[in-house]
Amino acid sequence: MSPMVAFVHIAVLVMMIIAAFLAVILKNLLSAVIALSAASLLLSLEFYLLHAPDVAIAEAGIGAALTMAIFIFAIRATKK
Amino acid sequence: MKGEMSIIVKTITKLIYGFIMVYGFYVIVHGHLTPGGGFQGGAIVASAFALLVVTYGNQGVNNYLKKDVFSLVESTGLVLFIAFAFFGLGVTFFYNFLANSGGLFGNPAIIGVNPGDLNTGGTVPIMNIAVGLEVLAALTVIILTMSAASEITKEKEN
Amino acid sequence: MKKSIFGIALIFVLAFMILAAFDMRPFGEPTVSEMDDYYIQNAQAETGANNVVTSIVFDYRGFDTLGEATVLFTAVLGITALFREVVR
Repeated sequence: MSPMVAFVHIAVLVMMIIAAFLAVILKNLLSAVIALSAASLLLSLEFYLLHAPDVAIAEAGIGAALTMAIFIFAIRATKK
Repeated sequence: MKGEMSIIVKTITKLIYGFIMVYGFYVIVHGHLTPGGGFQGGAIVASAFALLVVTYGNQGVNNYLKKDVFSLVESTGLVLFIAFAFFGLGVTFFYNFLANSGGLFGNPAIIGVNPGDLNTGGTVPIMNIAVGLEVLAALTVIILTMSAASEITKEKEN
Repeated sequence: MKKSIFGIALIFVLAFMILAAFDMRPFGEPTVSEMDDYYIQNAQAETGANNVVTSIVFDYRGFDTLGEATVLFTAVLGITALFREVVR
């Protein structure tokens, strides 16, 4: 693994940890859900970097899009 | 109407949901040539439907996206999948009886790295389409049911 | 007190995970590779599909996909039954 590729891997993983941490500490529910979706999208990018494009497409479709839609329905049903 | 999003989100949704659907169907149909397949393509098409439901609310899409139609499509996909698994029963369950036969999807593939021919793969493309229909309908039914349930629950509480 | 116990447990779990990561094989070199070699050499000729992953998922290992489709069907069944009062 060349140093450039290793650097991209480490950058994606660090950004994933930051996004997951934001999803925990953010007070606004919609912002937290968007941070969770960003973590999922970065995970799909990591799958693509590891030469697994099938898993990457599934993760981007299910984890980043559909889960977020269901979370938004749940947030709409709560009281402000 | 309540449950809707702002005019910015509506305009962007009108622009891109068709492209998302076409890309999803592309992933389903080219499942035996490019990365992806029935499950991934179905999830992409279902995410386009989810975008519509999130943007316009359950009331807004009620007349266009019927739950019964999607339920029927889901059962059709699953039945098609199992039927093509049983058609290979002359040899084994899930036998690829169409591959290299010269008929539908029956061209032999060129060995080695090549762009690929859509008319290859035997039962693999048919199974892709069946599973794609099943997944897109199943996920859309889940999204529609949950959005309707959340809106009705909120109405009851107010 | 509780927080310090949690912290110590977290440090132990992290240490074991990092130690286990040093023991992993190099990326892309599996221990047993007879089945992989068979798929890579024969999948294109036997199924006619260029994408070997799809030919495994839908042809060689079709039962897995059947189970996955059944799981999804059961999930829809469960959600429809759960919200039957609200949605009709």
